[in-house]
Amino acid sequence: MKSRTHAEAYDVVIIGAGVIGNSIAYHLSEQNSQNILVIDKSFPLSGTSGSTQAWVWVHTKTPSSYGELSLFSSELYPYLERKIGDVEYKRTGGLAPFFTEEEREKALKLAESQAKVGIDIKVLSRDEVLKKEPSFSPNVVGATFSSIDGNVNPFRLLELYTRAAEKNKVDYSFYNPVVDIEQQGDGYMVHSEKGVFRTKKLILAGGPWSKQLGSFIGLDIPVKLVRGQVLITEPLAPLLNYTIGGIRQANNGEVLIGYSKEEVGYNRQGTLDVIQETANMAVSFVPALANANVVRSFSGVRVVPEDGLPIFGEIPGRKNLYIATMHSGITLSPVIGTLMSELISSGETSLPIEKYSISRFA
Amino acid sequence: MDKSTIVCRCEEINVDEIETVLKMGAETFDDVKRITRCGMGPCQAKMCVKHVSNLISEYTGKPLAEIPPARARMPLKITRMRVLAGTESHASTVKAVFEEGDPDEK
Repeated sequence: MKSRTHAEAYDVVIIGAGVIGNSIAYHLSEQNSQNILVIDKSFPLSGTSGSTQAWVWVHTKTPSSYGELSLFSSELYPYLERKIGDVEYKRTGGLAPFFTEEEREKALKLAESQAKVGIDIKVLSRDEVLKKEPSFSPNVVGATFSSIDGNVNPFRLLELYTRAAEKNKVDYSFYNPVVDIEQQGDGYMVHSEKGVFRTKKLILAGGPWSKQLGSFIGLDIPVKLVRGQVLITEPLAPLLNYTIGGIRQANNGEVLIGYSKEEVGYNRQGTLDVIQETANMAVSFVPALANANVVRSFSGVRVVPEDGLPIFGEIPGRKNLYIATMHSGITLSPVIGTLMSELISSGETSLPIEKYSISRFA
Repeated sequence: MDKSTIVCRCEEINVDEIETVLKMGAETFDDVKRITRCGMGPCQAKMCVKHVSNLISEYTGKPLAEIPPARARMPLKITRMRVLAGTESHASTVKAVFEEGDPDEK
């Protein structure tokens, strides 16, 4: 028997202290009724949540039901900010530019399908784009625009989720990799490098490390790893009015640029070719950026479920075992934290979540 | 050094702010950096990394040699965007967001 009697006992253990794990911990802790532990192999922001442009992005998310989930999450941000503090959430409005006339047809179709779920998209002409965003390249043909999109400071977001959860008595164990998970009756024993934790309910929120966590209990978690590289300029005078698909300007003036996707496993190195392509994109979108100084690049590994849509909810056939893993965790964290805390504490959710069950891959 | 001593001149981060993150459980320079912005400015940690590593070593009791260095990233030194953009490579992995949105239900 691996189980030890001196294991610390919790009602809920969450594996993963990224934006998803922390949002679940925080929202669950608001009820002040359960002992919660968040355990992480490293430290908050060391993985995906700390290497993102952190758009809160809605309007191009398809199918429209997924757009709607993103919309709900975005609507929760102002409320979240009142509870946990200033996370520099800005609903700037979002522009997704296009550069060929053929794409306008696709843009109109997108606007039509998103309207059905209440996402208001305007398809802009070249002149309308340039009026909204005068620094944008005149080579643009048009753009889709929605006022719902924006961005947030991911560092502030993670810090304030953690602090708010700690205030509500959530325990954290950092630099403590989970090495095995053992089902015991209706609960679980979580074996970690620093000790064993017994829990009634277990939540897997490991993001890019979900596959490994699943393998401890014989579960296949169908996710891919995708590397993204981003450039950061020195702080610039206000240049961009909106969050642009690919580029945003942060509160302190620095501009973040990048939208690369490469499947290279856990490799987080930066590569010169992608950095150059990203710089090309910056200049072709916003010509004035040619004169900006680049201070740094960064690179991160994102998790993308095989069909692109979030995976969250209970794991069928496994009592008290839950999962939450997805791309766009920054956009989705408020709604996922809310729904998962409802599910964990009452077994019911205020929105239907069946279509996001891992069972769709079976 | 007292609590108000500036460790990171670029971002004006003091000892007290760094100790606050160490109390949360940070063990590396990059942990401290992401929460405080220490080392995120124009010099990219060239000035502060030693001071912060000393503070981590003191706080955690780990020898200095075991504190991982700050992660270096391209371009290492401030570089004009136009210099990086000056090649004719095609954006194969860098995509516009719009190209991805597919309004058809999957």
